[in-house]
This record gives sequence, structure tokens and C-alpha cells, in this order.
Amino acid sequence: MSDFGTPPPPPPPGYGYGTSPNAQPAGPPPPNYLVFAILSTLLCCLPLGIASIVFAAQVNTKYASGDVAGAQESSAKARKFAIYAAVAGVVVGLLYVVVAAAGLMTSRTVSS
Amino acid sequence: MTALDQRVSRPAGTRRPLAVLAGSTAFVAYVGAVDPNTAGHYPTCPFLLVTGWYCPGCGSLRAVHALAHGDPVTALARNPLLVVSALALGWVWWGWLRRSASGASRQRVAPGWAVWGFLGVVVVYWVLRNLPGLSLLAP
Repeated sequence: MSDFGTPPPPPPPGYGYGTSPNAQPAGPPPPNYLVFAILSTLLCCLPLGIASIVFAAQVNTKYASGDVAGAQESSAKARKFAIYAAVAGVVVGLLYVVVAAAGLMTSRTVSS
Repeated sequence: MTALDQRVSRPAGTRRPLAVLAGSTAFVAYVGAVDPNTAGHYPTCPFLLVTGWYCPGCGSLRAVHALAHGDPVTALARNPLLVVSALALGWVWWGWLRRSASGASRQRVAPGWAVWGFLGVVVVYWVLRNLPGLSLLAP
């Protein structure tokens, strides 16, 4: 009860294990792009989705431990893999169209 | 000054979640109209094609098709993870819309163990739906 009136501790618990120069983690949490990770796991490219989930988890773990720079690093990687997944999805879709068109042509010529 | 900035950027903020809503609606409408149960309408999952095993996403298009036709039972049979994820993503989207409408920034962060736990769920689900005896989770 003697603590009543003292300012509350900073929101992320367990901050400052000597990793961050400032005691208080600055700024809002970096985005973890978990939504894109889920979408690529379920709709598009499984390996990229799994990797994206790993980076998303790293963002939250590092931010919670006060490692804001590490969290931002993982956030950038998660963003990169979200872009990779989107590109891979488009490429696979285009490849499928090409292969399907080629298959249609060969099946027409072969079917005798 | 920051409050003024947020107020100025407010319309741009709500535009993005609404654009995502429009895109998602168009996607669901397309998958609802073009039946993924018919072969040749969509590419086969590359992982299934190469390995012969189901991936966590196999059955997603058929599940979306079933949901678009108001059939959650069939959707759960095709891919239960997609149905659960769709509900979760809808919840996240609702929070995004509300935050962008009020101009507030994200305050709460999911704990790291929750995201690692989700990774574990995906991997276990991936293995379970390929077990011969467990046709319940297979698409």
C-alpha cells in the first residue's frame, strides 16, 4: 500500500535485461504480419507460411523481453516473407495456367 | 500535434480495412461461384502434387466455397483450421477497423508463446491429417 501513487511500470514486462540501452522500450510494437503468415499457410505457400509464423512469434517474444531492435529485425523478415509468399502465389498461379494450357494442347494432339 | 496528425490521417486509415473487406468479399464470391470441387478450376496444392501428402491449407478453397454457400458443416469437414482461422481473422479485422476509425494505435500485443503455440497447432494439424486412421481432419 505504500506504493500507492507511484507511477506504473512500463507496459512490456521483463524489460531491460541489459539488452536495451533505454529502460523503456520506445514506440508501439512492430507489426508481426501474422495475418499474412496465416493466409500464406492456408491459401498459398506452406514453407513460406511456416517461416512467416516463426518470424511473427520472434517479433512478439523479443518485444515482450524489451529487445525492440531485435523485434524490428524480425518484423522486417516477416514482411519480406509475406512479400515472397505473395510473389510465389502469383508465380504458381501463372505456371498453372501455362501448364494447363500446354496440357490441354498435348491432350488434344495425343488423343487419337 | 500528434492528435492532429491522427485526425488528418483518419479517412486514409479506414480506407484500408474497407479495401481489404471488399477484396475478401470478391474472393469469397469468386470461389463461391467457381466451384473448387470441379477439377481444373484451380491449381492443385503444390505440396500435395509433389509429396502426395496433405498440407495445412489443403481443402481451403472447398471450405471457402462451402462457407459461401452457407454450409459450415461441409466447410469444417474440408478444412477446420480454415474455418477457425477465418473467424479469428474476422475478429482481428474488426479490431483493425475500430482502431483505424478512432485513430488509436495498437496497444496490446499477443504474448510470444501464443504465436509459438499457433505454430505448434499448425504443425500437429499438418501431421494428424496425414495419418491413415484419422480421416476426420483430412480434406
